[in-house]
Amino acid sequence: MKKALKKMREDWILYVMLFPGILYFVIFHVVPIIGMKLAFQDYRIIGENTWVGLKHFQILFSSPAFIDVLKNTVIISTMKMIFIFPIPIILALLINEVRSGPYRKYVQSVSYLPHFLSWVVIAGIWISFLNPDGGINIVRNFFHLPSLDFMTSKDHIRWVLVFSEMWRSAGWDSILYIAAIMKISPTLYEAAKLDGASTLQQMRYITLPALASTVVTVFILNLGFFMNAGFDQVFNLMNDSVISKVDILDTYVYRIGLLNGQYAYATAASLFKGVIGLVLILGTHFLSKRFTGKGVW
Amino acid sequence: MRRFNWSRSIIYTILFIITLAILIPVLNLVAMSLSDPTRVKELSGLDVIPKGFSFINYEIILSNPLILKSIGNSVFITLVGTFINLFFTALSAYVLARTNFVGKKVVLVFLIAIMVFEPSMITEYLLMKDLNLLNTYASLILYKAINVYYLFILMRFFQEIPESLIEAARIDGAGHFRIFTSIVLPLSKPALATLTLFYGVYHWNEYFRATIYLTDQNKWPLQVVLRQFVVTQDNTTMLAGLDLSPEMLAILDFASLQASTIIIAVIPLLLLYPLILKYFTKGTMDGGVKD
Repeated sequence: MKKALKKMREDWILYVMLFPGILYFVIFHVVPIIGMKLAFQDYRIIGENTWVGLKHFQILFSSPAFIDVLKNTVIISTMKMIFIFPIPIILALLINEVRSGPYRKYVQSVSYLPHFLSWVVIAGIWISFLNPDGGINIVRNFFHLPSLDFMTSKDHIRWVLVFSEMWRSAGWDSILYIAAIMKISPTLYEAAKLDGASTLQQMRYITLPALASTVVTVFILNLGFFMNAGFDQVFNLMNDSVISKVDILDTYVYRIGLLNGQYAYATAASLFKGVIGLVLILGTHFLSKRFTGKGVW
Repeated sequence: MRRFNWSRSIIYTILFIITLAILIPVLNLVAMSLSDPTRVKELSGLDVIPKGFSFINYEIILSNPLILKSIGNSVFITLVGTFINLFFTALSAYVLARTNFVGKKVVLVFLIAIMVFEPSMITEYLLMKDLNLLNTYASLILYKAINVYYLFILMRFFQEIPESLIEAARIDGAGHFRIFTSIVLPLSKPALATLTLFYGVYHWNEYFRATIYLTDQNKWPLQVVLRQFVVTQDNTTMLAGLDLSPEMLAILDFASLQASTIIIAVIPLLLLYPLILKYFTKGTMDGGVKD
């Protein structure tokens, strides 16, 4: 104890250096987290908030609007998991077949690019490309399919979310897999070639098994963010005609909280999302530890 | 002689089609923004070569006072924000990566807790309101003064600096602050470059907090104005404060004006893209993947 105190006195400069960072986290993270007790209160502009117990949660769970939002969140996240998750793996396998050189550089530079564009910009690009006489519909007409107004079509808008997310992130997300592939010893491939293995066989029996642990880790990490469903994306691609199909938890919180000013009620929805998210992250952390030997952090 | 490799050519072709699917929508907007407004109707959704050639869309957009102002605002927020990010992140990363102090474990657990539980956007908003930070740039900058993920990446970089260098300085009587400023920081230039780009791209692209925290239009960054044009389809704001002749108004094409605004928002990223590729990719490979 005395020793610890002495060391603390010696290291005083370290605490001074750490102070700004900790102060920042306390004010801008811890305080608003504690502030989420608002979910159990009624918000008052003047004077103290009053405690109301689980009132907001009861309203929330008996509200059809909230149930729809919850459904949308789960559906959109699940669609993304199923249809987007495998793409970066496939892309990495394909890129790996391209020898280092200008073509490989070209493919990588182009496929990483959308990751750096904001969702506002991507929404602008996609709204233009998907409009009734935009590029996609020209391709559709070429195959004698009728033009579609994707952005206002309730049947297609979720696919717009899936494909625009794929467009944005597949290239960038392939980096992790490419890095893992590059760690595979080239002698394995040489031996396989000597035995007459085709490109496909090499992929199937050498590359894919070597990627297994990265695949599991990334999948588990994604699971931890399941409840997010991509707020920035939905926020920018949503419009009144399709809102019933794409309104997710975060856009709902934004609308009822920040636009309608129902702060306490919206905080209850946030807290619900946060707790589910926390359970998922902790759950995946322990799953990950169990299956891959390393945790999420 | 090598025989023609079928599977390889199929793979090359698939990859080429993927890159076209990424590039064509972007290049189509570039072509639209540079087309002659009287001929832009001829441009199809797949064309990447402008019809005619004109800078008129850019001239109009860049003479809109709101846009001009917002570009300046974005540059300001990005520069100041990134500087503050780097300062806070590096200072904390040094203490956590290179030293052993009483309570270090507690701090690390605290940071992980920060990482796994995000506050609600509602209580964050109310906090900014209580601190009287609404409608100030401080709210945007302080909202994410340190990104925990980036802090961990920088810690990993700092940990790679050879202990012997730091030991030598300590023997010469240098204190922690001296070691930080004259040894660790100069040796970490690539790491700091990576973080500068991480944070810089974040600030340049940020629009949501600006949308909810900044009520005064004159303080808006470019992304918020852009969103007003392309997502909200607010054409009035786009033309507000412009002195256009009736002939000009007759040929104006809003889609082309939107396209040029989008391109303006992307240009800084494209200019930095070679650097971004170099540092981001390395940063993600080293820091993002856990070994």
